[in-house]
This record gives sequence, C-alpha cells and structure tokens, in this order.
Amino acid sequence: MKHLKYFLLLCSLASFSANALLEVNIIKSKEVAFPIIIAPFEMIGEFDKPVDLAGIIRDNLNRSGQFDARSTDQLVNDSIDFEFFKELKKDAIVFGKIRQITANVYHGEIYVFDILTQKSLYKKKIEFTTGGLRRIAHALSDKIYYVLLGQKGSFDTRLSFVTVTENQSGGKTYKLQISDSDAFNVQTVVRSSYPILSPAWSKDQKRLAYVSFKNNRSEVFVIHPFLKTRTIKLPKFDGIASSPAWHPNGESIALTISKNGNKDIYLYNFKSKTLKRLTKNISIDTEANFSPNGKSLAFTSNRTGQVQVYIKNLKSGKISRATFEGSYNAKPVFSPNGKDLALIHRVGKDYRLALLDISSRDLTIMTQNKSDESPYFSPNGGMIIYSTNRDNKGILSIISLHNNQIVELMQKEGEVREPSWSNYSK
Amino acid sequence: MSKKILLLSSVIFLSSCATTNISELGDKFLDLINPSDAASESADLREEVLVLSDENGGFSIDELEQLTNDELIAIAKEKGLEDLILLDSDGNLQNRDQIINAILDSAELLESKSDELGSLSDDAIMEIAMAKGMEDQIIYDEDGNLANREELIEALVGSSAASEALINEFKNTSDSFVLYFAYDDTEIDEAATRTIIQHANFMQNNPSVSLRLEGHADERGTREYNLALGENRALSVKEVLGLYNLDDRVLVVSYGEESPILTGSNEEAWEKNRRVEFSYY
Repeated sequence: MKHLKYFLLLCSLASFSANALLEVNIIKSKEVAFPIIIAPFEMIGEFDKPVDLAGIIRDNLNRSGQFDARSTDQLVNDSIDFEFFKELKKDAIVFGKIRQITANVYHGEIYVFDILTQKSLYKKKIEFTTGGLRRIAHALSDKIYYVLLGQKGSFDTRLSFVTVTENQSGGKTYKLQISDSDAFNVQTVVRSSYPILSPAWSKDQKRLAYVSFKNNRSEVFVIHPFLKTRTIKLPKFDGIASSPAWHPNGESIALTISKNGNKDIYLYNFKSKTLKRLTKNISIDTEANFSPNGKSLAFTSNRTGQVQVYIKNLKSGKISRATFEGSYNAKPVFSPNGKDLALIHRVGKDYRLALLDISSRDLTIMTQNKSDESPYFSPNGGMIIYSTNRDNKGILSIISLHNNQIVELMQKEGEVREPSWSNYSK
Repeated sequence: MSKKILLLSSVIFLSSCATTNISELGDKFLDLINPSDAASESADLREEVLVLSDENGGFSIDELEQLTNDELIAIAKEKGLEDLILLDSDGNLQNRDQIINAILDSAELLESKSDELGSLSDDAIMEIAMAKGMEDQIIYDEDGNLANREELIEALVGSSAASEALINEFKNTSDSFVLYFAYDDTEIDEAATRTIIQHANFMQNNPSVSLRLEGHADERGTREYNLALGENRALSVKEVLGLYNLDDRVLVVSYGEESPILTGSNEEAWEKNRRVEFSYY
C-alpha cells in the first residue's frame, strides 16, 4: 500500500458572507501549480452590485489545484508589459471585458497570452444569455481551463449536499441544498425535521433523487428542482428503499431494497414502472454506482463477511470483487473515465477516502482523516468532493487529484454532509 | 501519489509548462480566433429557477422562511398543526424552525391516524384488526364483505388507546427496551435473548399491541451501509420473536447512523448508538 506523503500548508482562511453559506479553508500542497495572472475584467454597463468577475475565476482555477492564479495592479488591455510579468515568473495572462447589452444579454471578450512567447493563445467574443454574472464567470473559467490545459473544467456545474442544524426547541432541521460548484448561490430544495440522505443528480441535471425518513422509514424520492411538478415518491416497494443511483441514460435508477429483510440492488425503470433485480445474495448489497458507460455497476457488499467493493458486469452478469486491501471498503463511485473508483477505506480505526485503479488494483489512500464519507468526482475527474469531520463537525472537502490540494467548505452553524457533483449544465 | 493520476491529469500541463513554453499549444488555439467584431460564439447560461411552491401548499421554502411568526402560526393552525405550536408567556412563538419543518413535512404526509385508517380498503382494515386479535369484532354481510367498517375503525382507534395503557404498565416493569450490539455485528447474546423473551411474553399476553423494532448503527463506516446494518440488527431481534409466531405483529425499520443516542466520536458514544429499540403501538 502506498501512503501519500504530505507537505501541507494551511494557506488561507477566507470567510465569505453574503450569498454563500459556506466558509472556505484551503490546505495547499507545495507541488507546482501553473502561475498565471488574471487581470480585473473591464465591466461596461449598469450593475446592481459590483461583481469581481476575475476574482471568481481566480478562485475557481485555484480550487482545481492546477493553477496559482493571481491578480495584478497593472491596467491590462491591448498593450501588455510582458517583461514585467516575465520578471514575476508568470506563464500566462488572462484579461477581458464584459458589456451589458440588455438585462439578460452580455457580450464578453476574453484574451489569453503566453507571457514567454508573447503570443496570443486565445481570443474570443462571446454572447451570453444569462441571469447572472457568476454563471458567466464559471463558463469563462471552463474556457480558460481548456485553453491552458487542454482539458474540460468542472466550474459551470452544481453541487448538492445536506445541511443539519439544531433548532431552538431541540429538534433538528435537515436541508437538501444545491449551489454552484464554488458553493455560492445556495438554494434550499427540501427542508424537513426528518433525516435526508444520499442526494444524487440525474445526468441531465434536471432531477435529484434522495432518501427521506419523513414517513418514519427510509424511502426514495425524486424531485425536479427546476420544474413545477410534485415530488415523485417511488412506489411503495415491498421493503425499505435507499441508496439511489441514476443509470447514465436517465431512464432508470438503481436502489437498495430490503425485501423480506434481504438487502439487494434493484433497477427501477420510470417508464415501464418495473423493478429488475441486479444482485441476489443473502448478505447486504448496497451503495450502487453505475460506470459512466452504464455497462457495469459497483456496489458494497459484506458477502464474504467483510465489507468490500464488487463490480457487476451488467452484460455478462458476472460479479467480481474489486477491493482486496483492508477489511472495510465501501461506497464506491466511478471516475468519469471509468478507470478508477473513489471509495471509503478503513485504516486501523479511521475511515479514509481512497482511490482504486480498477485494473491494477492499486489502492491509494488520499487523506489522513478519521471519518471520510460520500465521495463524488467532479465531472472532469480532476477533483473529488467528500464529507469529513473537523472538530466534531461535519464539513465538505474537495481534493485536487493533480496535487492533493484540499479545499474545505463548512457552515458557520451546524453540519454539512452527503455531497454530490452534477454533470455539465448543457 | 498514484503515478497514474499524475499522468492522467497533468500530461498536457507538464508538457507545456515544465518547459515554460506553451506556444505550441497556443498555435493550436490560434485557429479558433475570430477577428470580426461580432460575437463569435454564444452561450445560453440562463439560470433555471427553483420552483417548489406546488409541493408545500402554495409556499416555497424561501417564502415560508421569510414569513412572520404570526403568519406561520396562522398557516400551522390551518394545516391542523395547532398542537405543535409552542408559545412563551408573552405569546411569542418558541419553535419557529419546528413549525416551518412541520408545514413542509405535512405537505405529503398522510392525514391523522383515523384519516389514515379511513383511507384503507376494507381488506386492509380487516387485516389490521385480525393482527390485533380483534377478529371477533369483524361482522360480515351475506356476500362475505365487511359489514361494520365504521365501527371497526372506531374499535381500532379505541384499542390503540387501551394498548397505550398496557404498554406504559409494561414499561414500568420491564428491564430493557433497548438492546446493544458489537461493532459491525448483529449477534444476539444470551442476556439479549432473555430480554427478547420478556417482550415475547408481553406480546403473547396482550394480543392487541404491535411492536416496532428500530435498528441503529454507530457513525463509523458509510451511511447507506449502516442503514442496512441497523435493519439487520432489528431483523435478528425479529427472528427470535418469530420463534413465538409473533412475526406478523413486528415492524422493522432502520435509522442507520442518523439518530444517535449520544453524539461524539468515541467508544462510549459508539457503544450506546449500536442498538435496537423496542417501541409498541
């Protein structure tokens, strides 16, 4: 087993107020990040409140672990003082402007230059139809990420998570919330006195499945957060339902159903309203997750007496064990390229996020925490979001797979847990 | 760190910036440049707006949260949640959060207990009556259908009040309404078996009561696995009760790690949280 060597440095503790409920804590790694300048954007038009567009982009890129993005005091437009930035050991510079055309239409211009060669890497005029400047900043972040790294970013996406707060009267309030990928723009989708678990986005980002105890037992619900329709409660199966996982085609959802006490994984089809059994074993089978191509299913089972991860080939029906190190491996999720699984692995008394290379069976422990849970990949595979504990309080953590940089997201009061990352918006 | 991930995520990054020369990559993108003044690309980033008002009796969560206490009280009363309202001596609402949650939860909950019974089919009501040992109170018409639906519902509601008294009496005399378990274990030991036998005797002597077994787990491990584990604990208690033919009167549920007795990440809390609770109704 390979343990990670850590050179962590508590770098900054920024707390945001206003429209973000979560505070951010970045634990930086010393590994190299791409040094770039993102100059303040020229904003033309009448804006209700000033939005630091370049600041949002810088935070996005820095959170990915791939970049060390800074601002500059220099006014940057067509003429760039390349020597000045070369002296600062910067590799690239980004600048641009946003012009408001109508209430919902903006024209953006964005320029990226290589500082060493002084060549233009990218320039583009883009018309945005939008309800908010933050969305523009996220879309531009994805563009810059692609221009400089040749890979898709994961910025114009959404998170979902569950927050838990204590009431004045002693009970608890559970909220299923969604936010932008930077944890800003938080909106409450479901609020209840009863526990909420396992929110999962459908691939088209239009539906969220989750488990609620509001009827005093675990049941799976599906909500359309952006449509005026009723919450769908999946039919009352003969047994307790939990652990929803969308099939990538969006037509069906895998669930753990306890029929006569035997917990197995079933596939519920929304159109035909039929249930197909995917596992059949007297032990616990749960925590299903589909591979991105929909051809296999990873799940947790204690069929050998130990809690381990298995993968079922849905075509051949063959089930093979995926984890061999340690006595507890659970909650597997596929990476977007289908080659790795993120999972929870027990080390001594601790439960830590680990990454499993499926074909080589190479397991890498990613954190030194005591109780990591619920891992989920960003849609580009560059980051994993998971929940963990700090000072007996549940928080979310995002780890960059580029350099293991960790960004922590927390609530001022109460806990935040059960994160999930949406696919791309469109 | 895994060599593979490093390779995966940074092959382009390294090839371009380790040499601090990204012009090659840049040339590729120069093709994309459009020199005209018009926007060369358009992106529709229209925000999808959260819509939930249908669900919660005409209120979105945000709207409810912004209402005054008096407005909340009025809605709660309208929804039959009057009993939940807690006022201090000055008449101020003490449990605002709880009231908001209750209004939202009530949107989909089935009505009250007698409404719930009322919504059931004749067959379902007869089944409940039989399970409660009230078979002799069922009257059939000449076609073999239920003839006294209303009376039977009334009797069922009445019997639950009578059972409540019996249950309270048992609570005062019995040692234990909670059984504890070892880590990741569902084994019933000898002491636990003795406790279960006590409960079996109580149920046999009082055919009108039903039992709800609630399984729980400690916080360690993953939530969904713990949900399954909690259910298995309750199921192994039910198995013992099954030896007394009481299966039909036992309902098993699991809260996994969601409803701990003690909070805290230590052995003491974990021991108390790995449990099955007996709850009669």
